[in-house]
Amino acid sequence: MTTFEGYRRPQGLPGIRNGVAVIPSVFCANTVARRIAEHVAGAIAFCHPVGCSQVGLDLELTARGLKGLGRHPNFYGVVVVGLGCERFRARELAESIAAAGKPVEMLVIQEEGDTLRAIEKGITFAGRFVEEASRQRREKFPLSDFSLGLKCGGTDATSGLAANPALGWVTDRIVAAGGRAIFTEVTELIGAEQILAGRAKTPEAACEILTTIGNMEKRLSRATEGTDVQHRSALISPGNEEGGVTSVVEKALGGIYKAGTGPIQGVLGYGQVPEAPGLYLLDCVGHDGEAVTGLVASGCQAVVFTTGRGTPTGFPGVPVIKITGNGETYERMKFNLDFNAGGIVEGTPIAEVGAGLFGKVLRIASGEPARAELLGHDELFCITRI
Amino acid sequence: MAKALKINPRDNVAVVLADVRPGEEIVVTTEGETVRLAARQAIAFGHKIALAELHADQPIIKYGEEIGRAQTEIGAGDWIHLHNLTCRRGHEHPAQ
Repeated sequence: MTTFEGYRRPQGLPGIRNGVAVIPSVFCANTVARRIAEHVAGAIAFCHPVGCSQVGLDLELTARGLKGLGRHPNFYGVVVVGLGCERFRARELAESIAAAGKPVEMLVIQEEGDTLRAIEKGITFAGRFVEEASRQRREKFPLSDFSLGLKCGGTDATSGLAANPALGWVTDRIVAAGGRAIFTEVTELIGAEQILAGRAKTPEAACEILTTIGNMEKRLSRATEGTDVQHRSALISPGNEEGGVTSVVEKALGGIYKAGTGPIQGVLGYGQVPEAPGLYLLDCVGHDGEAVTGLVASGCQAVVFTTGRGTPTGFPGVPVIKITGNGETYERMKFNLDFNAGGIVEGTPIAEVGAGLFGKVLRIASGEPARAELLGHDELFCITRI
Repeated sequence: MAKALKINPRDNVAVVLADVRPGEEIVVTTEGETVRLAARQAIAFGHKIALAELHADQPIIKYGEEIGRAQTEIGAGDWIHLHNLTCRRGHEHPAQ
């Protein structure tokens, strides 16, 4: 049986990293959160620009994103930092994390006095969590305890040819073993909704897929009204056409190939964690940061990110594994990339390259640092907004 | 001789893995089979070559799914792109 080594959690899936997160409930607490993390090796501050004066769905997405981050299995424990007057209350965030059975401490700057006292208290909390986390050891877990996020960016002609098919092969193996896989980037799926709906496990799931992609298309139409980019044809660029992509359906299919060939269980809302095994579509836009943050908020322990042109970005505490199908990109950006799927372009069978990628993913899950982790890349934390 | 990749067994097109000259022999690999055919035009890296004769309005299959339909009669070895493939999607709003 294929296994990986992770850290047991009180509830849900195991973590594959054992960090301590310091999460501000509002951007006003960013500096305090950052200074706490600067003083405690092993603590990570998640600074962001939201949490204040938001309303409705916009505020709800912030809440879901930060709660999903705090509950994420790769973090042993969380220190929540609030200011005290924000719309998204620190207490709501801390209680959500505590409900997942995880160690959590909260401090509110206006209640502590000044920021010096808040920082001092936060250092004590984070330091204690790091010590506790250090006593944990990795244990073997079956692949059914793995949840993989799927993402692509900096796409070129090799993405749909090599990198995404290799990743699709891995996705099928994880799903077959009872694990979870989540793809997203709904903005990139327009044109392939009928094909995706045809892969739905149930009629309800098919309906959800069509509604989700239809809503995203309407949102894009509204966002481009009155400008010359409102045409749907803008979804396929001259660069795509030069690269050999002829239709929007072909472009979407090249992207969704990373989601393998299995049935789609349903659509996840932003911040929603799948309750059962299988392949899911997450309702989130294609922007690299927003999409990876969405995958993290849905509990993916790692993300595989395919890239043709090459990108160095990472997410703090969650491995973002970079693979390219472009051998030249791999040679040029070697230190930023984890795996070269370019052999497929040379004629190596997809299964052979896929098996190599699968091994790499399991090694990284079990503790080998992804290149983005090794180099400290942390650009991808970005809460989505409407 | 150049290589081309048939991504899914259902596909009736393959992707050429190098820039191809007119008349050049193409070896198409897929899982478990190898097919040879001649390119009828120049085809750039990453572009599609027809693996069989396709009649107008016949589905063009890549990734195991229909990516559009043949706009004209297409012969095996023909380059497939904007000039001979139409896709219903993407044309609800006229471009420009």
